[in-house]
Amino acid sequence: MKQEDPTAYTKAPGDRLTHAAGKQLAIYALAAVALLVAVMFVLNALAGLTSSAAGMSSMAVDVENNTITSYLREEPPQMDSMRASDAVSAIVMYHVMEGLLRFDADGELVGGVAERWEQDGTNVTFWLRDNARWSNGEPVTAHDFEFAWKHLLSPSVGSQYAFILYPILNAEKANNGEVSTDEVGVEAIDDFTLQVTLETPIAYFDQMVGYVTYLPVNEEFYHQTAGRYGADADQMIYNGPFMMTSWVHGASMQLVKNPYYWDADRIKLDGINFAHMTSDSNTLLNLFKDGQIAIADLTAEMLDEAMLRNWSLNQFMEGTVFYTEFNHRPERLTSNYNLRKALSLVHDSSELVNRVIKLPGYLPGESLFPNWIQGVEGPFREEYPVPNSPPDVELAREHLALALEELGLEELPPLVFLSSETPVARIQAEYYQEVFRRDLGIELLIDAQIFRQRLQKMTDGEFDLVGAGWGPDYNDPLTFADLFASWNLNNRGRYSNPALDAQVRIAQTSLDRKERLDAFGEIQRILLEDVVIMPDYERGYVYVTDPQVRGIVRHVFGSETDFTHAWIEPGE
Amino acid sequence: MENNPIIRRLRPADFETLTGRSSAPALVRPSRSYWQDAWGRLKANKRAIVSLFIIIGLLVFTFIGPLVWRVNPSLQDIDQISIAPGADRRAVIVEPFVAWDGISGITSSEDADLWLAEAPTTQSVRLKWRTVPGAEGYRIYRNIYEPQDEFSLGLPLITINNANLNYYEDRLDLSPQTYYYSVAEINDLGQLTGDYETVSADVQRVITVHEASQRNLVDDPSTLRPGDDVLLSWHPLGTDYLGRDMLARLMAGARVSLFIGLLAPLFFVAFGVLYGATSGFVGGRVDAMMMRFADFVVALPFLLFMILFQVVFGIGPGESGILPMLVALIILSWPATARLVRGQILQIREEAYVSAARLLGASSQYLILRHMIPNTLGVILVTLTFAVPAAIFTEAFLSFIGMGVAPPTASWGSMCNEGLKTMLTHPHELIFPAVMISITVLAFNLLGDGLRDALDAKMRSTE
Repeated sequence: MKQEDPTAYTKAPGDRLTHAAGKQLAIYALAAVALLVAVMFVLNALAGLTSSAAGMSSMAVDVENNTITSYLREEPPQMDSMRASDAVSAIVMYHVMEGLLRFDADGELVGGVAERWEQDGTNVTFWLRDNARWSNGEPVTAHDFEFAWKHLLSPSVGSQYAFILYPILNAEKANNGEVSTDEVGVEAIDDFTLQVTLETPIAYFDQMVGYVTYLPVNEEFYHQTAGRYGADADQMIYNGPFMMTSWVHGASMQLVKNPYYWDADRIKLDGINFAHMTSDSNTLLNLFKDGQIAIADLTAEMLDEAMLRNWSLNQFMEGTVFYTEFNHRPERLTSNYNLRKALSLVHDSSELVNRVIKLPGYLPGESLFPNWIQGVEGPFREEYPVPNSPPDVELAREHLALALEELGLEELPPLVFLSSETPVARIQAEYYQEVFRRDLGIELLIDAQIFRQRLQKMTDGEFDLVGAGWGPDYNDPLTFADLFASWNLNNRGRYSNPALDAQVRIAQTSLDRKERLDAFGEIQRILLEDVVIMPDYERGYVYVTDPQVRGIVRHVFGSETDFTHAWIEPGE
Repeated sequence: MENNPIIRRLRPADFETLTGRSSAPALVRPSRSYWQDAWGRLKANKRAIVSLFIIIGLLVFTFIGPLVWRVNPSLQDIDQISIAPGADRRAVIVEPFVAWDGISGITSSEDADLWLAEAPTTQSVRLKWRTVPGAEGYRIYRNIYEPQDEFSLGLPLITINNANLNYYEDRLDLSPQTYYYSVAEINDLGQLTGDYETVSADVQRVITVHEASQRNLVDDPSTLRPGDDVLLSWHPLGTDYLGRDMLARLMAGARVSLFIGLLAPLFFVAFGVLYGATSGFVGGRVDAMMMRFADFVVALPFLLFMILFQVVFGIGPGESGILPMLVALIILSWPATARLVRGQILQIREEAYVSAARLLGASSQYLILRHMIPNTLGVILVTLTFAVPAAIFTEAFLSFIGMGVAPPTASWGSMCNEGLKTMLTHPHELIFPAVMISITVLAFNLLGDGLRDALDAKMRSTE
């Protein structure tokens, strides 16, 4: 009796086959996974060997080695102080170099390489300290300053910030190639005395000397680099609190304490590791949470989490003013005063900041002159208040009707709003689009461009309105006040008003503080009454720092983030 | 043996001719055409039918929806920015906002060191405090949790470098919830001395009469008095980062997505069919050349062409990039269809029935109309349904990276991009458009799968 289930008989070999195949497959899969893991480890190890972090800890705070880790928003184009024009270069530069004057922890100007200085009319004399050294041991002399300033003024260098030296005698002419740079009013009388002759006596020259462009360059070393000065860590020498030991382009930068720095005792950190170059706020927040960076800026979305984690938050007004600039070229519709007035009457910077942008630290814009500017005694904006002008839709429509009549138009064609590509700028642009459409029936076309492209379009005048911003170069209201002078190349809307120009001239040449500030007050009045711009906001940041790192300061002038005063206070 | 039913006694009747009728039931069913058959198969496929209904629903949502939900997708409701679906929308009418001078309208007692000068509202929270002798200034903090110590006071709102100033008005992004305000003393270096006072504020949502009338919240705004309750506009799916209605934006976005998703495949499949059929039918050298050209088109990078088309079309600032996207899709996507159809045609050309028809003197036109097209139609339809989700996805992707629609027009892809920024705090802004894209693409894919099973017997998936 051999009764077999026929189905079982036929199935058995196939089953065995699938079993065998399955086993084989499982083994292959396991092997593949194991191999992958191995490759990952090897690659990771290799990456570790070549990465910037090698040699320096990538922990936010390394108590043992007394170093901290931070980040840079982007790769600096170069470290040549004579050609630097961006904020990130400036941050690094203020750590590795020191000019005649520097900013202390309170943001006040104090002597750097210069021991003391004196201004007598158009003559400014700096007496340099004799113990300031380059990182190759040579002394920092007045000749290093003379060389740097004269060299950057020569037209062949093409320095974008050369204009900041224009108060010096013949600097502008030399920069335009009209006279030789030898005729520029800078002279090293001896190794430790620098004599500067100004074009006209101005009251704020010392403030300008604190700027990056005024840093010294060692002539001998500069010529050794054969045009690669500042392109790499070993293509520079340093006279600041730190020196750069490695610069992996696009990835990281490491600074260690400079033993030759004359005031080295002041510096408490032994090293700063800029281990990341990114501006992505989410990445930075994650790095901070992982304990990989000691400081991070926060966006509005991150605040709830920050509060939940009991982080200690700080706020910092960065100094930049943002405003919507009109195109005043006569062929543009926005050259019409009534149209500008109508737009400005529905423009509500308070609603924009408090309810739309919602970023903490931002202040509603009311004037071209930000809140932090000092007046004669107290804050400038208290002494020269901006008249309160709440939005008024009815009045705005009246002005619009007038504008249409003057322009001879039935209906206004769409206006082009040139904007940058950042999230805040986009929100702002879309908000304006809706406000102008809702209240005035004006269509707005948003032209979102990256920074360089936007600057080009601004220069070419391809806009009706543009969202612009201006960060101060030196601590004097003039850095804002001359923006809309008819000769200023940064006056992208080509606004031209002799009354305003006259006031700018007064502010530039007068030595009397009251007279100058009256001029600034007048400029503020003209800008608002003639609706040259619509102030949007003043930018600020909310940031969080590692509780073990103390003394990180952030300034409008000097290094935006300054670690030279910081120290580590180990937690328990 | 006796029981064997076959071998039994034969009778004469066994040798009579049959009447030609079988008593067995005929094994025939009513003749069904190809399409009837396909429809039957499709109906049996549950997934495909569900997908079909989803797609019909989507069309209703896109084209009938805006007629029912008459909300302007670009209208900004500043009072309700980034609110989640189903949020409370009660508000109380108040007087228009006037900046505070720090003196007027003080209602609270002055027993405390820090108090609220007025009932806190979403319009403003007014703080007043007793000045501390010796302080150089104050820093105001706001927290949504109760502060534990001087290091967790929360969000710094402002630093006041004036020891005599004793009031502050907060207007930043106030929502109806409880806040803890702290005023901390600072020394002359701007550092905290460690002394601080905290007060809690239950913020109430308010709106002014002007705002209520501007947003059409009530029929007759003139009857509104301060203290009255009104309901803010209703947003069933919440709002985005500018207070725009999500439902209206999803409907507007669907229109863009479906416009690209349906139009582009129609055009490029039509062109692909023509191209492939010509190539396959003519054959020989022409076929080889046409197919090499198709290979060449396949090799062109899509994104680069997209950018070039935007330039060529002169898509200026603030203009929609939908048209160049359509053209780029059509120009670059046809070769797949062309290849498929060419293969089919080549195969059918060699079939015996085609040769028979040729022998019987059929013209090319007859061959194409009677044999070629009907036999490739199934493949074409399947290609079409699979091309639709691919095109929708491409549109979403391009809008996501900012090459599609211009603001304020919405598209699912651009909505995803915007929602990404607020993903952690307001996830609904990302989830809704993402779910719409997913469902649409899935529905079209499943329908395509079902259609392929139903129409193309050879490619039928075995399940």
